[in-house]
Amino acid sequence: MALLWTAMATESAETKLTDGHWAYQKPVRPALPRTDSDWPRNAIDFFVLHRLETNNLRPSPAASPEQLLRRVHLDLIGLPPSPAVVDAFLANPTDAAYETIVDDLLKSKRYGERWARPWLDLARYADSNGFQADQLRDSWAYRDWVINAFNSGMPFNQFVTEQIAGDMLPSATSAQRVATGFHRTPTCNVEAGVHPEENRVNQVIDRVNTTGTVFLGTTLECAQCHNHKYDPFSIEDYYSIFAFFNNTPLEVKQQGNGVTWNFYGPTMNLPISTEQQTKLKDLNTRKEAAVKRVSELKKAAKTEQLAWEKQTLRALKESPQWTVLAIEKFDATGNPEHELQKDGSILVTGKNPDKSTYTFHAKADLKRITAIRLEALTHPSMNKGGPGRNKAPVENPNFIVNEFQVETGSKMVKFASVKASFSQNHWAVAGSIDNDLKTGWAITPAFGKPAWAIYRLAEPLELKSEAKLKFTIIQNYGGGRTIGRPRLSAIDGNPNALDLPTDIAVILKKTKRTKKDDDTLAKHFLKESPKLKAEEQTITAIDKQIGAIKPASTLVMVEQDRARETHVMLRGQYLSPGDKINPGTPSILHPMKKTLPRNRLGFSKWLTDPTNPLIGRVTVNRWWAEFMGHGIVTTEEDFGTQAEPPTHPQLLDWLAVEFVERGWSMKHIHKLIVMSATYRQSSRVSTELLAKDATNKFYARAPRLRMSAEMVRDNALAISGLLSTKMHGPPIYPPQPSGIWRHVGRNAPKYIAATNEDRFRRGVYVVWRRGAPYVSFMNFDAPDRGACVVRRPRTNTPLQALTLLNDEAYIEMAIAFAGRILNEAKGTPEAKINYAYKTALGRAPRAAEAIYLKKLLLKRRTHFEKNPKEAALLISGAKGWKPPEGMDKGDLAAWFFIANILLNLDETITKS
Amino acid sequence: MPHSQHLHTNYANDSRREFLKTSGLGIGALGLGSVLNPNLFATNPAASKQPHFQPRAKHIIYLHMVGAPSQLDLFSHKPELVKRNGQKCPDHMFKGKQLAFIREHPLLLGTRFKFPQHGQGGLHLCEHLPKLGTVADELCLVQSIRTEHFNHAPAQLFQHTGFGRFGRPGIGSWVSYGLGTENKDLPSYVVMITGSVAGAGNSLWGSGFLPTMHQGVEFRSSGDPVLFLSNPKGIGRGDRRELVDGINFLNKQSLADVGDPEIATRIEQYELAFRMQASVPELMDTSRESKDTHAMYGTAAWQGEFCQ
Repeated sequence: MALLWTAMATESAETKLTDGHWAYQKPVRPALPRTDSDWPRNAIDFFVLHRLETNNLRPSPAASPEQLLRRVHLDLIGLPPSPAVVDAFLANPTDAAYETIVDDLLKSKRYGERWARPWLDLARYADSNGFQADQLRDSWAYRDWVINAFNSGMPFNQFVTEQIAGDMLPSATSAQRVATGFHRTPTCNVEAGVHPEENRVNQVIDRVNTTGTVFLGTTLECAQCHNHKYDPFSIEDYYSIFAFFNNTPLEVKQQGNGVTWNFYGPTMNLPISTEQQTKLKDLNTRKEAAVKRVSELKKAAKTEQLAWEKQTLRALKESPQWTVLAIEKFDATGNPEHELQKDGSILVTGKNPDKSTYTFHAKADLKRITAIRLEALTHPSMNKGGPGRNKAPVENPNFIVNEFQVETGSKMVKFASVKASFSQNHWAVAGSIDNDLKTGWAITPAFGKPAWAIYRLAEPLELKSEAKLKFTIIQNYGGGRTIGRPRLSAIDGNPNALDLPTDIAVILKKTKRTKKDDDTLAKHFLKESPKLKAEEQTITAIDKQIGAIKPASTLVMVEQDRARETHVMLRGQYLSPGDKINPGTPSILHPMKKTLPRNRLGFSKWLTDPTNPLIGRVTVNRWWAEFMGHGIVTTEEDFGTQAEPPTHPQLLDWLAVEFVERGWSMKHIHKLIVMSATYRQSSRVSTELLAKDATNKFYARAPRLRMSAEMVRDNALAISGLLSTKMHGPPIYPPQPSGIWRHVGRNAPKYIAATNEDRFRRGVYVVWRRGAPYVSFMNFDAPDRGACVVRRPRTNTPLQALTLLNDEAYIEMAIAFAGRILNEAKGTPEAKINYAYKTALGRAPRAAEAIYLKKLLLKRRTHFEKNPKEAALLISGAKGWKPPEGMDKGDLAAWFFIANILLNLDETITKS
Repeated sequence: MPHSQHLHTNYANDSRREFLKTSGLGIGALGLGSVLNPNLFATNPAASKQPHFQPRAKHIIYLHMVGAPSQLDLFSHKPELVKRNGQKCPDHMFKGKQLAFIREHPLLLGTRFKFPQHGQGGLHLCEHLPKLGTVADELCLVQSIRTEHFNHAPAQLFQHTGFGRFGRPGIGSWVSYGLGTENKDLPSYVVMITGSVAGAGNSLWGSGFLPTMHQGVEFRSSGDPVLFLSNPKGIGRGDRRELVDGINFLNKQSLADVGDPEIATRIEQYELAFRMQASVPELMDTSRESKDTHAMYGTAAWQGEFCQ
């Protein structure tokens, strides 16, 4: 009995607690605490100072202008100030100058890139499916949308609506549809035997959980299998939110009837890129020109056709006859037997040499030769009748004529063209007169019938009587692919009509032609025109290139026409449906307006309802944490009853109300934070502060925070001068060790490091493969993006040291940085060290630092003067950067030591 | 400067075997650094922690054998299945379910091996494991773990993280998080891979929502055993010492000025990195082990790649 009573009491106490939990009450703008101090610069400082005073702490002095300038650059754009910016600000470190810099940074395109990174962690954005095969997929347009949204200052409520339900907005723009990529990021299993429905349910679960975390700071996932153990969310609440997301199609598709499944789901074509547009424009211009030339050629063809008709008709009338040449002597290398046949052909028999060159000596009975015909005749003695000889194990009687040559009086006869009865693919007859022994004429599969080639001479060959002709047929391919029964003939007349199709010959001879005859004739002439043929080939090639320019695509949300029924899933199992449930929102939170549709769009409007007690607090808290190192609620992902209570509840509420009332402006809140005196304090950690407030929860100093993985790299790229600011587009592949992408599965993509400017673009564009993300990022605490991540940890490990010391990418940056120092700084080593410090750290070196580095530099310079090969080897480590002409390699290698040290400093990878 | 003694320990003289002993390194597809002596400095969050009970286990060796024979042929005695060998699969296991690769009514397949009993406990083991049988009473077989996942990746994720989806810490990360490590010279959780990689890949030793310091660090069998371990071209051990000296000299200037303990930690991590550059290759070098040791582990080429 006593036990029961205790249990009941506990329950009612808990109910009371959750009902009144601060995070579920709509925030009200609190009044600013009073103070006599002139320290506060804006509202933030009143709240911070109040907490400091009640804890017997005082704010730190203001940060030095150098420190503040670097801090605000890293916070707002994720890149350090340039030496020129440092000089300008140090010359005039006023409040007004600072505010101008802040405004400029908020307008910078780099701002969106810097702030997209934490959002993409929340959105679990990646470029691959995850799971076993982990193939790549395209949804980078969503990443670009986030960058653009931050840069354009899109109000946060709109930012939320478009990501949750952009596709359902009235007359949704393509950008609004791209935005829905936010919830098309969940992992997707396409392993054989996957169950599509289970996969879909898992994805919806991911969407619900992520939505709860990102917009409500609520651990909704705890209510997936049973009522939430701590917070007032029931399993019914969970599945009523689930119902909003339960209306999208399946995302894996079976390939045919087999066991292969493909990543699927709705995609959307993007407008083609500027580069593609330029290329397309160029191709279209070229095509237009070619089309124009074709029509001109066709016009001109009318007159040309008349001339051709006359010429051909004359040739037809002359109707020259082939004269078989009388062979006086025949030789074949490899010495097969041979016998002259009655029809003037030579039958080659007996052993078949692997390769054989035939030589014919013939008497010309003609005074004039305009064309020569080589025939390969059939004979029953050959396999399948020939016309080629064959040698086991080659069964097919093919032959290959590598070269066909004619000589008279030791002068080579030149050919104008050649035609054949048939040519094998890739073995066109033209190959027999191109002076290239690798090419030649062959005839597979035209076996069992005679083949011929007609060689037209470039000029008619005038012959004296008794003139001799020598013919050579080189057959070098091997395998006994030689002609079994060659015959040579010649004509002396007009060769133009030799290969004229019979129907054309008939038309030409007619005295009266029909309209159809005219068309046939014109068509034949155009078809045979070499110029037209060339132009038409050009057009075909251009069309192929145009066809290859496809728009990129991206993953989007699409609503099915008919809504699915949603049931509670007992114990979270999709195979155990419980009661039917309608879309709805948790009763503990603000009500969903009656006017809102009960679908994703209505749900997104509910999320951004100004009476939502959570979304404003959760959002400003995350931003605060990015600037200050931890949230006002340190459990940024959980505002429930198990959350850490806010350190500054009034400040949190003030910021949340300010955010919503000032048009949901992210940039407004960011500016407020960086303009505050709290933000502008020194980050020095005194022994007293360490003792009184080690975690800096009261903000008696500015935080010192190791940069995020991407920022570590971006910062080093900027310092080295290598950084490319090219924005947007498909993911990039900076260098990483080989063998990282070794995972299993079909269509396994390959990692090929970029050799162009993509090598040096910002981290937000680096390809994110879930099974093997960019390794140096992993060493600096990047998640695998398999699921929503609110807080990245900040570890301090030996692997980070090894990365910065040895990663090819960082070696390259250090060499380039050394080059930059030599290139941009003039004068003494001291002046150069000064410049290096300004570039890397935005400050001048301390005296001890300058002395130390100069000593090291001189020692190294002497060393490399004596060991130039060592210097060259070291410099060769930069594969994507070359020293400018005339730069001394020894000097560069010595400065590499300074550059490498500076890029490895704790201060360099820390926002302080 | 705290922990200066630690900085100057000379690890170059440590033998490989000594190293293995102090690091408690498991061998196999997954090895978990072991535990259990809270003698490290308090500022290191990876330092070993005193658990709430007196532990008896000294090491955890976790082998994940991709492509190994089925448990039904090795450890899991199923007499009823053997009895029904060749019969049609009962409807309740088959009807209305979508099963990979199976189209027609499937048949049941029991093991072809005998399962003699061993030891006082009468443990059933496959007839081809007679030597294991001699220590049957020292074994504990857990046969109660089951899953509905039949695809490789989700099932492996389930086995290692308790969930068939991404985003959860693997068991090694939990051990690292909960118990820490005694080892000062290696990451707290080390993963060794031979042969094929499990389908779920790196996610099996990912730290999920735990800090990434608890993520398994992969010792690779080709290239650098630990990523970025070797110096770049043109940088020798002496050059590296000079660079680390330079970095830490300047870091100490900052530490004196700014006072942030993180800087002290970073100074230590650079020293540890420098030591790892010498110790890890030595640790991974099995060429100086005796013939007997090699024979015991079965590292000859014909014995497969598991212990290579």
